[in-house]
Amino acid sequence: MVDLRKSGNFFDQPEWNVPMHIELYGNRKAVVEGCCGVLEYDDDVIRIRTRAQPVRFTGHGLAIRCLTVDALVVEGYITCIDFSG
Amino acid sequence: MISLQLTRWLIGYVRFSVLGGNPERFYSLSAHSGAVLWNISACSKSGACVAARRYRSLRSCARRTGCRLRVRGRHGLPFLLRRTRGKEGLLAGAALFFAIVCLLSLRIWCIQITGNSSVPASRIAAELRSAGLSPGTPKRDVDPRLLAQRIMLKIPEIRWMSINTQGCTVQVAVQEKTAQPEVKKSGGICNIKASATGQIVSMKVYSGTALIHKGDAVAEGQLLVSAVVEDKAGGSTLRHASAEIIAQTSRTLTVSVALDRHRTVTTGRTAVRRNFDLFGVKIPITLQTRPRGTYRRSCEQCSFQLFGTVLPFGIYTEHWEEIRDEKYRLSKQQALKAAEKEIRRQAAIRLPGAKIISSQPSPKWEKNSLLFTANLVCEENIAKESEISIK
Repeated sequence: MVDLRKSGNFFDQPEWNVPMHIELYGNRKAVVEGCCGVLEYDDDVIRIRTRAQPVRFTGHGLAIRCLTVDALVVEGYITCIDFSG
Repeated sequence: MISLQLTRWLIGYVRFSVLGGNPERFYSLSAHSGAVLWNISACSKSGACVAARRYRSLRSCARRTGCRLRVRGRHGLPFLLRRTRGKEGLLAGAALFFAIVCLLSLRIWCIQITGNSSVPASRIAAELRSAGLSPGTPKRDVDPRLLAQRIMLKIPEIRWMSINTQGCTVQVAVQEKTAQPEVKKSGGICNIKASATGQIVSMKVYSGTALIHKGDAVAEGQLLVSAVVEDKAGGSTLRHASAEIIAQTSRTLTVSVALDRHRTVTTGRTAVRRNFDLFGVKIPITLQTRPRGTYRRSCEQCSFQLFGTVLPFGIYTEHWEEIRDEKYRLSKQQALKAAEKEIRRQAAIRLPGAKIISSQPSPKWEKNSLLFTANLVCEENIAKESEISIK
């Protein structure tokens, strides 16, 4: 029998440890999980801090539809997502 | 999405503006403090929405980021209820409204009858009422199967009936019986005899041996067509004779017409009473009381409909007309007209299918009546089947 705790395979699933998770609905909506805060907020740019690195959404008519302690929904015409900060 | 908006409306939310300071940091701090923000706008019109009970906790975040918060709008049920504070009547009215709706939904208010053509809907409705189903009956007292069986027993013209309850409406679907055609008995052996004295005008013999010819004079009871048919070999067989014998006959009809008569006439005085029929309860909407004296009443029910469903309210109108009894005497001309009309009616009953060629009236006037005798010359079918019993 395999001891899952010893092997570390069960709790160390890669999906459980990702610093952030972004779900895109075309270029109109992005749901970001693992968000730690808003760094910059404008109609054309939204820059957020995640557990790994800052993420910049560029486009026009951008708006934060909803913001919770670790998630955020961006809506608008997203033209670029930049992970370099 | 609708459920989310409804939830937010139910718990109540505040729309606020963020002035000065660092709005981005304020949003981050607010989110970290556990507040859920939505519809966050950027730039100069910086602001967001938050649940009403969370708004107070955002003040410390604003202070730390150098922002000022300003409430732009309060939305949702808690604020709506706050507006009604001190107006207990409104709440009582709302509670009463829901109580009435709950109570009314326990009863039947509309009865729809469909599928009937010869049986009037009013008759079915009356039978339903006597069986215990009328507007206002509690739903739990309605047993559709038992009701349908009872009504089918009471109205034999109905072949099938289904009673379905849907909300406060009862749908009564009816299917009527098709009249059974009369079966002609043609198995027995019979002759054709004359039902009246006359002269033969035309004859069609379908079965049997004709014993008369066109133009012959025949007496009542005379044998016209025999059931005995002879074949070429000389043998004879008995058949069910059948024929149509048209003869010119003379008939005498007498009627008596009374000259002194009574009739009901209106005096011209009328009264109209209108009632608002609400759930079977009639609420007067006119001040007219029930008139005293001899009146004739006619009623009119005007029900309202919504998308084909009869609603449980309408206008019930009563028309009252004063009447009086009047004696009058028929003039000679009127009496003759009435007598002729009565003769025509009697002829249609006693001589069905006969064609009246001529009529010779002979009126006889008595003190209070007219004795009107009409000698009619008719053309009618005088063929009458006369069965032969063979043992």
